[in-house]
Amino acid sequence: MAFRDLFKRIAPRPRADQRADRGLLVFEHTSEVIRAEQILKSAGYAVKVMGPPPEVQKGCDLVVEFPLMEELDILRSLKGAGVAPMEVLPVTGPLLAPVDLFQVKDFGQYLMVRAANMKITVEKNTRVIVNVSGGGCPDVPYIAARLIGCTLDDAPAPRDIGHTLCGYALELAHAEMLRLCSP
Amino acid sequence: MKESIDARGLSCPQPVLDTLAKIEAMGSGELEVLVDTEASKENVSRAVQAKGWRVESITEDNGEYCLKLAGD
Repeated sequence: MAFRDLFKRIAPRPRADQRADRGLLVFEHTSEVIRAEQILKSAGYAVKVMGPPPEVQKGCDLVVEFPLMEELDILRSLKGAGVAPMEVLPVTGPLLAPVDLFQVKDFGQYLMVRAANMKITVEKNTRVIVNVSGGGCPDVPYIAARLIGCTLDDAPAPRDIGHTLCGYALELAHAEMLRLCSP
Repeated sequence: MKESIDARGLSCPQPVLDTLAKIEAMGSGELEVLVDTEASKENVSRAVQAKGWRVESITEDNGEYCLKLAGD
């Protein structure tokens, strides 16, 4: 087993009660989530796009997790950019823990990462992208055609060639695949 | 000898992975793949072309697709 695999095994996902210093930004539309993420990451905030907890029935299918300590600054930044969230929730218990967006499936020779409705599959040995699937956006066939057959290192980033929410979801899956396949 | 795969009823990326495993085992020759979604038809076509195989023909019958593939 590689050292990094060992590290991943002993670094469990934080439990909800260990996320007490985190909060959730709930937006009405996914496009606002994407903008907010870009704005906050550009400003250096440690934010993460995740799935909403089951208890949050409002808004879109994505939320932004953020450090509660920086709530005022973050809200000021977002308001200034015209992307105010419809609600801000502290992560106070298991029911309010956001859900990991990613599902990983190991096919042996191949590894698949799913983010929301998009899946990317890579041959482990060569790091070549063998499949891109899911979604129904018009740019998916184009993105798939550009990515399939490329290695993870040579493939264009989906965010650079995609223009839809499916492209954004694939960007998340691609980034997670890069993380999982990093030496 | 022509080989074949019946990937109907399988969800992506399984039809693609089964096809890639088959053409890797075959090396060259002719392969017929049956799928039952347009997405699988597109995905299998792209995947095999990226491996240097050709899609000789695609026929559709009542929502099912038969892909005839060939590799030298």
